[in-house]
Amino acid sequence: MQGFLVRRLGQALITILGVATLIFFVQRLTGDPTYLLVPETATQADIDALRHALGFDRPLIEQFGGFLADLARFDLGQSVVQRVPVSTIIASRLPYTLMLAAGALVVAIGIGVPVGVVLALFRDGPIAKLAAGFVLAAQSMPTFWSGILMIMIFAVTLGWLPPSSTGGFSHLIMPSIALGLLSMATFARITRASLLDELSKDYVRTARSRGVRTPRLLVRHVARNAAIPVITVAALEISNLLAGAVIVETVFAWPGIGQVTVQAILARDFLIVQGVVLLGAFVTVLLNLLSDILYSVVDPRIVLERAR
Amino acid sequence: MIRHAKYHAAIALASALTMGAAPAFASKDRFMVDLVSEPSSLDPQIQWNPDSYYVYRNIFDNLITRDDKGEIVPQVATSWKYLSDTEIEFDLRSDITFHDGSKLTADDVVYSVKRITDPKFASPQLGQFDKIADAVALSPTKVKLTTNGAYPALLAQLVKLSIIPKKIVEDVGKDAFNLKPVGSGPYKFESWQRGVAVTLTRNDNYWGVKGPFPTVVFRAVPDGATRVANLQAGSTDLAVTMDSDQAAQLKASAKAQPLIGLTERVAYIRLNTTKPPLNNIKLRLAAAHAIDKEGLVQGILGGYDKPVPELLTPAIFGWIDGIKAPGYDLAKAKALVAEVGPAAKTEIELATSPTFDQRIVQAIQQQLNEAGFNVKIGMSDMATYLKRAQAGPEATSMLSFGRWSCACQDADGVLFPLLHKSSGWSAYRNPKVDALLEDARQTLDAKKRLDDYRQVHEIVAAEAPVIPLYQAAALYGATKNLQWRPTPNESMFLNRMSWKD
Repeated sequence: MQGFLVRRLGQALITILGVATLIFFVQRLTGDPTYLLVPETATQADIDALRHALGFDRPLIEQFGGFLADLARFDLGQSVVQRVPVSTIIASRLPYTLMLAAGALVVAIGIGVPVGVVLALFRDGPIAKLAAGFVLAAQSMPTFWSGILMIMIFAVTLGWLPPSSTGGFSHLIMPSIALGLLSMATFARITRASLLDELSKDYVRTARSRGVRTPRLLVRHVARNAAIPVITVAALEISNLLAGAVIVETVFAWPGIGQVTVQAILARDFLIVQGVVLLGAFVTVLLNLLSDILYSVVDPRIVLERAR
Repeated sequence: MIRHAKYHAAIALASALTMGAAPAFASKDRFMVDLVSEPSSLDPQIQWNPDSYYVYRNIFDNLITRDDKGEIVPQVATSWKYLSDTEIEFDLRSDITFHDGSKLTADDVVYSVKRITDPKFASPQLGQFDKIADAVALSPTKVKLTTNGAYPALLAQLVKLSIIPKKIVEDVGKDAFNLKPVGSGPYKFESWQRGVAVTLTRNDNYWGVKGPFPTVVFRAVPDGATRVANLQAGSTDLAVTMDSDQAAQLKASAKAQPLIGLTERVAYIRLNTTKPPLNNIKLRLAAAHAIDKEGLVQGILGGYDKPVPELLTPAIFGWIDGIKAPGYDLAKAKALVAEVGPAAKTEIELATSPTFDQRIVQAIQQQLNEAGFNVKIGMSDMATYLKRAQAGPEATSMLSFGRWSCACQDADGVLFPLLHKSSGWSAYRNPKVDALLEDARQTLDAKKRLDDYRQVHEIVAAEAPVIPLYQAAALYGATKNLQWRPTPNESMFLNRMSWKD
């Protein structure tokens, strides 16, 4: 276990360093933000002066060295547009992203897994067909459309929910559903496939022949075994959700990471983009590690030392 | 173990959910404004974009301002007089206090000027004020500004100079002041929930017209459709940046109304006159005749914008009534193109960026091609577009769509950068125009300036280095009983709003 952890942490560090290098240079390829910052009437001399003051006229290698040195001190730098530390900006958005991710996950798993079970158990029945139609519809609706539709129905027409922004729990409901419905389909499909796979195994037939009823069979015998692919997908989905849900956050004016990222990309506010990308890389690496560890908790036969 | 983890997760989620404030529904006490993005900065000398100055212009007073008619009128300064062509003296009000109770004096004005003109401070607005060479306090209520040469647009630029408190800024430092700004304006900074909302409260001790709303909350709502829904649901009182379809939607709404203001911003197509095929004046005139400005405005923009014959809008000093520009005449355009022959078929690029209304750009492409041109749209992100647009005649595109505002309402801020050879934006070389623009920049004689600009307008109409299109309208959405007249400089002064009963 220890050797495994050390090796994986080493890999994680290299991955993150690679991401940092890539994001640094790819962004600089597109130019710099000076032109977006100045009013139209600024002369070339004004623009050059601002570029110099912001440090974008320094050689790339020198800028990169500074970036790595700051990174080693966990300093993500200061936004050139807002002139506020990037860590402050990300920290202020993170709680909202976490809330929305949690809400979406509750919707996705809360509906997706039961629907998957229904799809597997009543494979060809009318209920399964209905459920499959629901899943397909939920996944096919683009969120910018389903989002605005929900706002029109539940906020404008019925007045039950606030149309956008943050506030109390009621503000979280619509964005969570809009976002959760998308990943719900993934959960339903993976649960169905995994469950069908397990149900066709010998131990299930044996259990059935002993007279074990379906609910008990599912809970006691099949659930654990079928859970592994679901955990993998959950880890992937969580890292997706934490990277920010750009469209849902935009439609519902939800102040999460996704919204700030898009704004930063458009404004070429490099340091914010770098910070968010590094955070995303970090979360993805961490969640992958966690899901590997979880496998061995769910299935004791998986021994981490040999697994990799 | 697992059960514990679940328990902790539930607690964490529950506490996260209750973190936010109480639901922010609009009410008369709490005026809600939907911006597109949150302000970049509330230090008025750091950032230059509408979402920032919509907010901070209510926290700070400016040295001078423009009234609803667009005239330059006193604010912190009560009067001013030129001592010479390069020296101007301002008398200041003595009864203004900052929100912390300290008095606003000439030292604060001098400090504000010096801070924003210090190249090391790196204000993006430096270019608007760098003609100011010096600022001196003659007494606590008298300030003298010195410019590098006569600078007729000085007053027009000073409309944007917010006065900041010297002592506070020096005491707390730049970063802290940006987070918690203190001004002397009709609204006080209350809080900034980053990413969510900026809250201002009314300054009940304000020296001038007080604001009508006790509390004002500015939120970021990036999607236009959501801003409309917010208005229709009644959770917002005022929202910025609507398009003509959304304005029509609001017209039909029971709770909301569109508010429309013609701005100082002018839309145009800039032609590269230095390279073939558009170095041929016949083709430039053909392009000018091919574009149906009235059609663009009525057919696409909902009729809110206003076609213009010159590269200014009536909200700008330098506007001359009755300039004759080439009108829409497809037959004439086709004839001119045919006269030139095969050279007219060279592929030319029309540069644009997603920031602009693509329906307009595509319609212009279609109209030009109908006349016989071969126009391709070149789309790039805003930063790349801006870089190319001001890269000079060699590197810039043949055609470039733009919407120009100098935020100063003076022709010098529009015509000079777009036409004078010293500017990166200009792809036109005409010594006569250069001389006229320089002359108008160097004299304080308004009549002489107007005469210079009239000549520039006439040359532009005759040679079409730029095709002026329309005066852009700013479309806002508001609750039905809000009374407010949007100004041409796209500001949002809360103390000029009121409720209809």
